[in-house]
Amino acid sequence: MLDLARGSRRTGLSPIVLVLPVALFVLLYLSSGTFRSLENLANVNSQVAALMIASLGQGIVAISGGIDLSVGSVMSLTSAILVTADPAWGVPIALAMGAAVGLVNGFGVTLFKVHPLVMTLATMTFVQGVALLLHPVPGGEVPGYLRALAVSQVAGVPAAFFWCGAAILLAWHLLGRSRFGLRTYAVGANPVSAGRNGIAVTRLKVACFVLCSLSAVVAGIFLTARVGAGDATMGAPYSLDTVTAMALGGIQLAGGSGSVLGIVAGVLTLGLISNGMNLMGVSPFLRAAVTGALLLVAIGLQRREAIGA
Amino acid sequence: MTRDAVSPASMTGQWLWRAGKTLLSLPFAYAALVILMVVAYFMRPALLSPMLLLLILRQAAPLGIAVLGQSLCMRVLSLDLSIGGVIVGVSYILTSGLLPFSEPVLLLVAVAFGVAVGLLNAFFITRLRASSVIVTLAVTLVITGVAVALSQLRSPGEAPEILRQLVRLKIGIVPVVLVIWALLLLAVAIFIRRSVFGRYVDAIGANPRAAWVSGIPYVRVVSVVHVMSSLFAVFAGFLLIGFVGIGSMDLGRDLALNSLAAVILGGVTFGSGKGGVLGPTVAALMLTFSFNLLTSLGLGEPAKLMLQGIIIGVAAAAYSVQRNN
Repeated sequence: MLDLARGSRRTGLSPIVLVLPVALFVLLYLSSGTFRSLENLANVNSQVAALMIASLGQGIVAISGGIDLSVGSVMSLTSAILVTADPAWGVPIALAMGAAVGLVNGFGVTLFKVHPLVMTLATMTFVQGVALLLHPVPGGEVPGYLRALAVSQVAGVPAAFFWCGAAILLAWHLLGRSRFGLRTYAVGANPVSAGRNGIAVTRLKVACFVLCSLSAVVAGIFLTARVGAGDATMGAPYSLDTVTAMALGGIQLAGGSGSVLGIVAGVLTLGLISNGMNLMGVSPFLRAAVTGALLLVAIGLQRREAIGA
Repeated sequence: MTRDAVSPASMTGQWLWRAGKTLLSLPFAYAALVILMVVAYFMRPALLSPMLLLLILRQAAPLGIAVLGQSLCMRVLSLDLSIGGVIVGVSYILTSGLLPFSEPVLLLVAVAFGVAVGLLNAFFITRLRASSVIVTLAVTLVITGVAVALSQLRSPGEAPEILRQLVRLKIGIVPVVLVIWALLLLAVAIFIRRSVFGRYVDAIGANPRAAWVSGIPYVRVVSVVHVMSSLFAVFAGFLLIGFVGIGSMDLGRDLALNSLAAVILGGVTFGSGKGGVLGPTVAALMLTFSFNLLTSLGLGEPAKLMLQGIIIGVAAAAYSVQRNN
């Protein structure tokens, strides 16, 4: 068991990380007729897409040694902005907001040396307040072109698939093929020696937080467009869900280890479990409890050096 | 002029300087409370009437009690965000009638539930070395998920009579709730100052590695702190349920974040107990007062959340800068 859970140092990939989503898929495929239907598979895809996009951002921050709990609130505020702002300006404003939140998180963590959990908890609370102020009651109209981008199909393949694919490719290029990725791993593994080797640690960490918030904005845009209405609390579960996906995908929250493949596996595991329970008619509240239990198990398998926060 | 021969004038100057320095080193909560009261004096003077102040004090008691546990956790470099979850659980245990026991037994069950949650948190944080924030948030997710799912089968009902009576009791004009709060506060203060356990807490906070190496029962101390925090959450839950009179699944949900804000504002940050026990307590008062002020100014939940966020972020940043200098 322990050997199965232990993965490569760099990628964090272990047999269990990769086998779990495949096994779940096979299990659900064999046991439930509804799961097999093309409709449900498309449904799983679009349910997973928002989580996938947000988790890829969370993954970048996690590999750099941080954590971002404000992901969910940023998604919520994006939703509120899209339905209240002028249709032409909604997306640019949301992206600017995301960049601003990322900058605040990044500077708080680097220049002011606040623990990332505390810093992003603060922005999470603040941004949630702004979202509720802007759009207190769920509803409103989503710009038509966004709606079309999220729900249309190309040759029978749902749009969510392309959103996911683009996000995964971009993250894979950033983390696996660029200098930025190499530096991110270095900073996550040991910020002091990374700094001594000439990496601008502060700038890199800030960039990671900004990227994470921007990906949360994109996830928020997709989710709002898919649902077709604004909701200032829509993103709330995503902060912890993305962290759960990290833990399930073998990404060490202490930093320096993880991979895009791991993130994808973690997101699929979480999405399949959620969809499976949905098909079995488990109450949504119990589903939240199971996600929590899953997070406990996954995080329990990642033994750290430090005790505490 | 030698150093011994100081003139009386410069003595007072020195004294003033020292007093000023002490005042400046006080946690932000004190200054913030004074500023808020001045604002209230000009904008909503009614809030400062003795009767309302006493009510606000009483209203602050659950937060004040929860803050005691949270500040202990932060002193040992941990965090407890499961306070809200514990209160939801307690609320369901006491008011749903799911367990066919008499009221005193139910209260005991609630206490046992608190101990169990504390031990669970401690197990994950110390034995499996998982991040305390994630563990306690996940535990909250599990408790509230189960409680809300159960409440659809059997909805929460009336609060136990004992609790409703307790929160109404008064000694003279002082509500008994305040006396309980004060006693708990005193007990924690003495315990932290005088006991060996308190020294251990300080040692772990100051340098966890050194504490570990020098054989301080690290795991046991952190475990006890988490159990205490959950117990304080249970007591805070008792008072809240007594205040409201009926059980609800929304009760105390914001207590975890508020207690975190209060602790940071009260001068206790990771590993530093500089604000003492009183700092966070004053901060709890200040937060409760500010929420009342916001409500009286017609600003609701969004403003409250934004204020909390700003407080946590700015106070944490300011202390961190202060400490690094």
